[in-house]
Amino acid sequence: MTTKTGEDSPQASASQLDQPSVKPPPPPESPAALQTRFRVITAFWAVIIFLGFPIWWKTTSIYRASLPIEEMVDWADGKACRPVFPLEIHLATPSMQSLEAQNLLRTTQHTLDDLNEFAAHHLRLKLTDGSTAAHNGEESAEGLKYLAEDTADTALTVRLLPQEGLAAPRSELHAATTQLDIFYPPNQVPVPSSSNSPLSAFIAAELQRLYSEEKATIAYILSGNTAGLDSTSPQLAEEIDRRLRRSMKYAETYHLSFSLFTPGSEPSSWDIEAAVNEYVSPLLQAFSPISNFTVDTQVQLYANFAPTAPKPEYDETEAAWTLKKEGLSAFVNAAEWPLNPSIGSGPTINFILYVPDPSQSPLIVKENRASSWIVPQWGGVFLLNPPLSHTDNQGGPSNPAHLSQDSLRPAFMTFSHQLLTLLGTPSTPASLPLRLQTSIRIRAASLLLSASSTMGSLARLTESLPSIPIPATVATSVATTLSHLSSSCAHLREGRFGAALASARVAETEAERSFFEKSMVGQVYFPDEHKVAVYLPLLGPIGVPLVVGLLKELKRIAARRKAKGAAS
Amino acid sequence: MAVDRRKIAVFGAAFVLRLLLTCLFPSLPDLLTGRVEVSTPVNSFKRLQEGLFLYTRNVSPYDGGVFHQAPLLLPLFALLPDAKSWPLPTAIFYFVVDLLNAHALVTISASGQSVKSRLHSAVRKHVRWDGVSVAAWFLFNPLTIATCLARSTSVFTTSGILFAISNAVGGNSINAMLALGFASYLSLYPALLFIPLVLLCYDRRSEGPNPPNVGSFIAQHAALLLASVAGLLGLSCLITGNFWEFISATYGFHLLVPDLTPNVGLWWYFFIEMFDSFREFFLGVFWLHLASYVGGLTTRFRRQPLFVITALLGVFAIFKPYPSISDASLFFALLPLYRHLFPLMRYTFFAGSAILYSSLLGPAFYHLWIYAGSGNANFFYAITLVWSLGLSILLADTVFAALRDEWEQEHPERVGTEVRQV
Repeated sequence: MTTKTGEDSPQASASQLDQPSVKPPPPPESPAALQTRFRVITAFWAVIIFLGFPIWWKTTSIYRASLPIEEMVDWADGKACRPVFPLEIHLATPSMQSLEAQNLLRTTQHTLDDLNEFAAHHLRLKLTDGSTAAHNGEESAEGLKYLAEDTADTALTVRLLPQEGLAAPRSELHAATTQLDIFYPPNQVPVPSSSNSPLSAFIAAELQRLYSEEKATIAYILSGNTAGLDSTSPQLAEEIDRRLRRSMKYAETYHLSFSLFTPGSEPSSWDIEAAVNEYVSPLLQAFSPISNFTVDTQVQLYANFAPTAPKPEYDETEAAWTLKKEGLSAFVNAAEWPLNPSIGSGPTINFILYVPDPSQSPLIVKENRASSWIVPQWGGVFLLNPPLSHTDNQGGPSNPAHLSQDSLRPAFMTFSHQLLTLLGTPSTPASLPLRLQTSIRIRAASLLLSASSTMGSLARLTESLPSIPIPATVATSVATTLSHLSSSCAHLREGRFGAALASARVAETEAERSFFEKSMVGQVYFPDEHKVAVYLPLLGPIGVPLVVGLLKELKRIAARRKAKGAAS
Repeated sequence: MAVDRRKIAVFGAAFVLRLLLTCLFPSLPDLLTGRVEVSTPVNSFKRLQEGLFLYTRNVSPYDGGVFHQAPLLLPLFALLPDAKSWPLPTAIFYFVVDLLNAHALVTISASGQSVKSRLHSAVRKHVRWDGVSVAAWFLFNPLTIATCLARSTSVFTTSGILFAISNAVGGNSINAMLALGFASYLSLYPALLFIPLVLLCYDRRSEGPNPPNVGSFIAQHAALLLASVAGLLGLSCLITGNFWEFISATYGFHLLVPDLTPNVGLWWYFFIEMFDSFREFFLGVFWLHLASYVGGLTTRFRRQPLFVITALLGVFAIFKPYPSISDASLFFALLPLYRHLFPLMRYTFFAGSAILYSSLLGPAFYHLWIYAGSGNANFFYAITLVWSLGLSILLADTVFAALRDEWEQEHPERVGTEVRQV
């Protein structure tokens, strides 16, 4: 192409030489010049068409990874999984004949099934002999792991023990293990032929009572209300509602912050490490399947009340300084006390140990003489009134300079109780392991629902906003979420609640990650009209001469073709 | 011999001037090194020192994301004594490179390709400066002096381009391609000069007996260029070890423009303001804009490939991603070759005053923005716009003058008539 121009131009100038006699004011462009112009325009447009448009297409096309929308919506609508909670309860009957035991099991199970009105949550009795139960108990540390993998978790072991001289059966729940002892008069062992017996009715009623709160809570979570359960008393429903409102929103990690506040200079140190190790760590260990925890502590001296907060008043009858119940909400001086709202990601639970000034000691709550209270979804406060020492020669009593582990004991007992409440642990039954198990089931249920509904929201979001990009990472997260959701659901069905919770936690994390993907929402508020404003200022000035040049050239070619057509 | 004496005088004076500036104002080189107008992330001597420090301690020079220059510079500078304690050897090395560049300019000028090439002969051939004057223009240009004192590595790219041109006009097309390969290896964008340069070589070859086939000539030289670049890349790979790290830290840095440090160009402000989702698209637009001139100008000025190169260097000085005054100084170095076009230019005063205005106010506004805090980024950006405007007017005027010259050559009877834009 280039050579041709080179060869053409001498001819062109030669052809020009015999033209000057014509001499019109603007000399006509030589064919060579026309051809050059055509080539220049072609060169520019070739760059635009062969490089510009592909780049435009490549860089502004929105990448939308395909998401399993239907499956996500199914999860959100509850079609993909109906969470069920089959609790496996072992019945240990060391002193019963096998036949008798089986009969008892059958009748009790029958009674239980009759009593149960919430199908998703049901108790499954299973017979074990006493020795294996004990064996399981001993090796629970290794056994739990093994159990979690292929068989259902044992929710409770019921030991039936005959006891002479009893008129009616009685039960005794171990506070530190998952064992319920039932003592029964030996004569109440049901005969194989009978379909009902007082003993089985008693066992069924006991179990029902143990799990009534959990059942109501799960029903509440799954359906949003307790209306489905007739037997739930209004008080219980109220209690559950209140507990759920007070407890923190679930988080993968909670930060616990223990703070010692005092208006004076003393106490200035506390045995916090020992206290945390002694009173809090075992609890956190027990909660480790549910959440992770970090612990921070601080001591703040000269911490004053907010100026607007009501001052404590001296109560003659109590011989103590009192705070009004209404004034407790202003007790924490949020403006001046350095209570970090958040340490890293995840919510902070604040525990405040307040040691009042000797001049205002002891300090209690007026209405009920309490020394501690919970601030819903925030933390807990404990008023510690240490014994005052009068050894100071400056006159007036003073607080001890150091708080020993023993003096912190009541405070930390309260804090651990408050922590349980803030984490949404149910208040019944009395056994802590049982409450933790209940917690695990409740959390698994709520995480399952939360992750499912996040999937639904994501599906709706991507369908309603066709202009947002969906990065591949979101698709990966969604796939992970869905697979963990279904494995969590399967674990639930098999009664492996620990494994179900672990899967549900992964699902929830991934679901949140996919929903809050940053690059997705960047263009949500970017309407198409704005693109004009982005493209035009630069491309307009560049484009106009190019387009005009192209049009002129096309017009000229069309005119020449017409002229040629007319000539021939 | 008189000409030689003049040349020696000019070169010597330029050398002494640089030496005096360095010795009388010892802080001047470091001051200039830190100026954003002179040093960009891809040619800064400071960053080179950082890369050198890492390199001499056997750490990858690209660790830390400061150094973005070609790795072959490192062993070269490792041979020179440390610039901090012994600044003079490095400075003198730069002076010598400047003089070599000026020598290349003299060669280009002496060939007369700018006024009379194979397919074109300017109307005002007699209006021209000799090589020594052209070299003096280059050597005493304050922009060149500032670049040289700041020890910017653009100087080597300039050498590569000037030697490529001087070899091409001398008919030594192989050396021209090797030099262009060196320049492209250093700064990537000179590769765009390949087409006009190869046409220049072809024109020179065609003046002799039995001209070669143009297609195979271009293909051979493209292969030569690729081979030279590949050879340099292979050497660099031996030096750095990690091929992809070095490619992404140097050419990736040129192409994707991640560092938006202010400079005299137009890209930084635009990409600061750009929505992230359009960033890639406009990177493409800017690069294509830069590249699209090659085809158009080459086609239009097929008869004057050297002028295409000059005009493209002007385009690069304006629209490059990381331009500095050294790019402008290269453009200004080639302009005096077209002394015969000056009478045809119409806006020299306007362009000249815009360039002067911005080169005086630019540092002041940068100071107001960064140090005094009483201005903002728009102050400096406005000045860089004026600078680019001045260069654009000068470039457009030169292109217009060249067009007019071609037209007058075709229409000798109308020389000197007024033109009217249609």
